[in-house]
Amino acid sequence: MIRVAAVGDIHLGPGSEGTLRPAFETVGAHADLLLLAGDLTRHGTAEEARVVAHEVAGLPVPVAAVLGNHDYQSDQEAAVAEELARVGVHVLEGDGVVLDIDGTKVGVAGTKGFGGGFAGRCASDFGEPEMKSFVQYTRRSANSLRESLHELRGAGCAIRIALTHFSPVEDTLAGEPREIYPFLGSYLLAEAVDDAGADLAVHGHAHAGKEHGMTAGGIRVRNVAMPVIDRAFAVYHLSANGHMRHGAHR
Amino acid sequence: MNGMNTAELIEYRIQHLRDRLAREDIAELGVRIEMHGATAHLSGSVASADCRAEVLRIAGEELAGVAWHQDVTVNCAAPPDHSEELS
Repeated sequence: MIRVAAVGDIHLGPGSEGTLRPAFETVGAHADLLLLAGDLTRHGTAEEARVVAHEVAGLPVPVAAVLGNHDYQSDQEAAVAEELARVGVHVLEGDGVVLDIDGTKVGVAGTKGFGGGFAGRCASDFGEPEMKSFVQYTRRSANSLRESLHELRGAGCAIRIALTHFSPVEDTLAGEPREIYPFLGSYLLAEAVDDAGADLAVHGHAHAGKEHGMTAGGIRVRNVAMPVIDRAFAVYHLSANGHMRHGAHR
Repeated sequence: MNGMNTAELIEYRIQHLRDRLAREDIAELGVRIEMHGATAHLSGSVASADCRAEVLRIAGEELAGVAWHQDVTVNCAAPPDHSEELS
């Protein structure tokens, strides 16, 4: 059994040092790995990222993260990622990491993702360059997620997790105004996860949403935005043997 | 409605408040602001007590003269007391 801790939207920066550190120092008692689902900072500066890095440095479990839209606000996303990587965080964007958890290979595929909306009520890759660029950005992100999940399967991972900031499904947005759903996620992410298969999809971003959801293909989705889970991190137990297998490899 | 002072139109003032919460140091996009009758309601959960205080201060400035209530809370930063079995 693999224990997965996850939280997103922690929005740290100067002045909030130590907010999460006491809880994170207990993570080894709760989980085998920690996932950070983006919006780790407020404005996406290197200075803010150093606060985040200090909160997660030296934890007894591996940490994997994606960035969120806030982490891009100051056009310093590379510096933000670098600050986190410096303390050993696996910062994912269009790629994956294989973690050896007591001999079990756990794969995490990560991308920030983007918006566009959900099947039947979504933006189309058509018209003005800005509109096409918007949709194509999301499509590239989803494709990278699909490819990463495939690669993790090829690498022999017994458990695969899709980690995004934007939501792959509408389920976990319930509570948000329906009018802003297209800015909160895209079905393209869920389609990629269903196509490649995964054991769990984790995201943040939707502060007023709800925790539990599922893709059309039956893969469980969890919104771990901190205002939603209302604790320092949520913990999910996944079985490497006997858990439901979903996706293209059925 | 020609010539109406847009600064007095509540829906624009609420949007300006949202814009300001996003633009200022707290960069807060998670507070929901809606009209309930003639009263503005602010709700949501933010990262810290300081952030909450700043949201309320800015709301006080932007909604001056408008009746408003708030139910803005602070995220719990405690470790979890339960886990979920996904099998």
